[in-house]
Amino acid sequence: MISLIRNELMKMFQKKSSWIYLIIILIAVIAGGIISNAVAGEPDEDWKATMKAEVEELQKSADEASEGEKQYIQEQIQQKQQYLDKDVNPDAQSNWHFMNEVVYGVTILVTLLSVIVASASVSSEFADGTIKQLLIRPHQRWAILLSKYISILIYALVLLLTMIVSGYLVGLIAFGNGDFSAKIFEMAMDGQKEAAVGPQFFLKMAYYLPSLLIITAIAFMLSTLFKSQALAVGIGIFVLFVSSTLGGLMVFLAEKYEWAKFVIFPHLDLTVYALQDKILGDVTLPFSLMILTIYYAIFMILTFVFFQKRDISI
Amino acid sequence: MATHALEVRSLTKVIGKKKLVDDVSFSVEKGEIFGLLGPNGAGKTTIIRMIVSLIKRTDGAVIINGTNLDEQYKDAMSEMGAIVENPEFYKYMSGYKNLKHYANMALKEVSDERIKEVVKLVKLEDVMHKKVKTYSLGMRQRLGVAQALLHNPSLLILDEPTNGLDPQGIREFRDYLHTLAGQGMSVLVSSHLLSEMQLMCNRFAILEKGKLIHIASMNETSEIDEAKEVVFEVDNSQEAVDVVKEQIEVSSIKVISDQQFSVHINRAGIGTINRLLISNEIDVFGINRVEATLEDRFFEITNQGVKEEVK
Repeated sequence: MISLIRNELMKMFQKKSSWIYLIIILIAVIAGGIISNAVAGEPDEDWKATMKAEVEELQKSADEASEGEKQYIQEQIQQKQQYLDKDVNPDAQSNWHFMNEVVYGVTILVTLLSVIVASASVSSEFADGTIKQLLIRPHQRWAILLSKYISILIYALVLLLTMIVSGYLVGLIAFGNGDFSAKIFEMAMDGQKEAAVGPQFFLKMAYYLPSLLIITAIAFMLSTLFKSQALAVGIGIFVLFVSSTLGGLMVFLAEKYEWAKFVIFPHLDLTVYALQDKILGDVTLPFSLMILTIYYAIFMILTFVFFQKRDISI
Repeated sequence: MATHALEVRSLTKVIGKKKLVDDVSFSVEKGEIFGLLGPNGAGKTTIIRMIVSLIKRTDGAVIINGTNLDEQYKDAMSEMGAIVENPEFYKYMSGYKNLKHYANMALKEVSDERIKEVVKLVKLEDVMHKKVKTYSLGMRQRLGVAQALLHNPSLLILDEPTNGLDPQGIREFRDYLHTLAGQGMSVLVSSHLLSEMQLMCNRFAILEKGKLIHIASMNETSEIDEAKEVVFEVDNSQEAVDVVKEQIEVSSIKVISDQQFSVHINRAGIGTINRLLISNEIDVFGINRVEATLEDRFFEITNQGVKEEVK
């Protein structure tokens, strides 16, 4: 098995594209660093005084405003007061703030590139005709397929690690080393949530992993179903983008229909649990994980059974 | 009972209601080059793909060197090396990396020495570290042979191996197969090129519409004492024909040109005619037996098949 995985990794890293994808991640992180450094401007030393002045300003305008506006202004005052009360600088900059706000956004690229690699994995062997040389070896088909799947997971992790390590280094250079457990407020559906910046970033990463796992599993399944590499990659990316839209749609459907909670799409992005405890009304993390596990098992069984039985006649 | 290099028992493939391969059985002996012959769509490729497990068998068994493919898959697969149609490679890797890739998948360890040995055998030393996308078709075909031989298989399976090769390449390939067979390797080869098979195989099976209709050995096609068409080259063919007709009874004798005539006769008859001509002062410049080609034989057999079906 190990020699099979080593073979797959060799093929993967002999392709130029695999290296280009890693470079894309690096460029995205560096660009993120440059842009947020330019936007940030000079840090305000006396931010408390500025914020106090802002609160007073709002208070004044609240007196003159109509009833509807008054409520909105009151909320803003409350938010700003929280920063003052808990001594949290909203404009604070450090490598960890950069990681939590900017680098985290690059995960969408990690997902996209993993999907591209996963959906090309088996379909490219069909497209090039190399599949027939590959499957006449003294190994069971499922073992060969499994080695491909494991090599994709390894590649996805390499992409993710590249993002995290380069993000840390770029943040360090651009903003200097900050407090790992500095307090921040994250905007959530039900108001602001207090969190420590470093742990919050890694919490998001932990919630991101199941999503990455299941989306690459879908792409890998498509890869075994289609003989055309272009078709497999195209549909893989399509599913990726449509899933967030459908996930949003399910949020509305879930209010009316119970079955919407069992559709995979709203569960694909678990990172919302880093901000709130419940989605779709009363759905919690264990339930989401259970749904994902069931779908994952179905996808994997379909993939392996189909591939095992398939006639190779290209 | 001695084990065959390959034994195929009642191999059948049904897709939907169509029988692509219908109850085909044959065996390949050690050191033999065995051909599968038939027009396109006769089921040659399907049979080969079932033997190498690329296509599932509907029914039937494949036994390689005494090992049943269904019982000991890995061991049986390890005994064969194959090229299925045009060998395809990972074009973005060097020839050496491609071979290394397949060597890693062998059951028994394939040493770097062995890879070098095989590369030398197929004369690819100079381009071994160049990417496969720079290779010519002939070079790819040779690399295909190399990957099939890497793990020292006892059975080599080749599906339409000469497709796309130029005459020079075909000739080299054929010589190469004979060398391998001479060393004890058994070869199963399929082709629709009849003349090519005639030069390549010891025995062959003729397939038509998924059925095996005849197994014959090459010797059978050239029985020595059978009456055959013989062409004589003389100084005056008309005079010679008259002389022959006068002296002995021959069935079909005809003038081809001023200097050539043909006659249907057995081996002993050739000598008789030759002596006769010389004693009648007719100069003989050449005597040629026209060999019945595999092609003639093939059409003869397949036509019989058609007739039987009509009955």
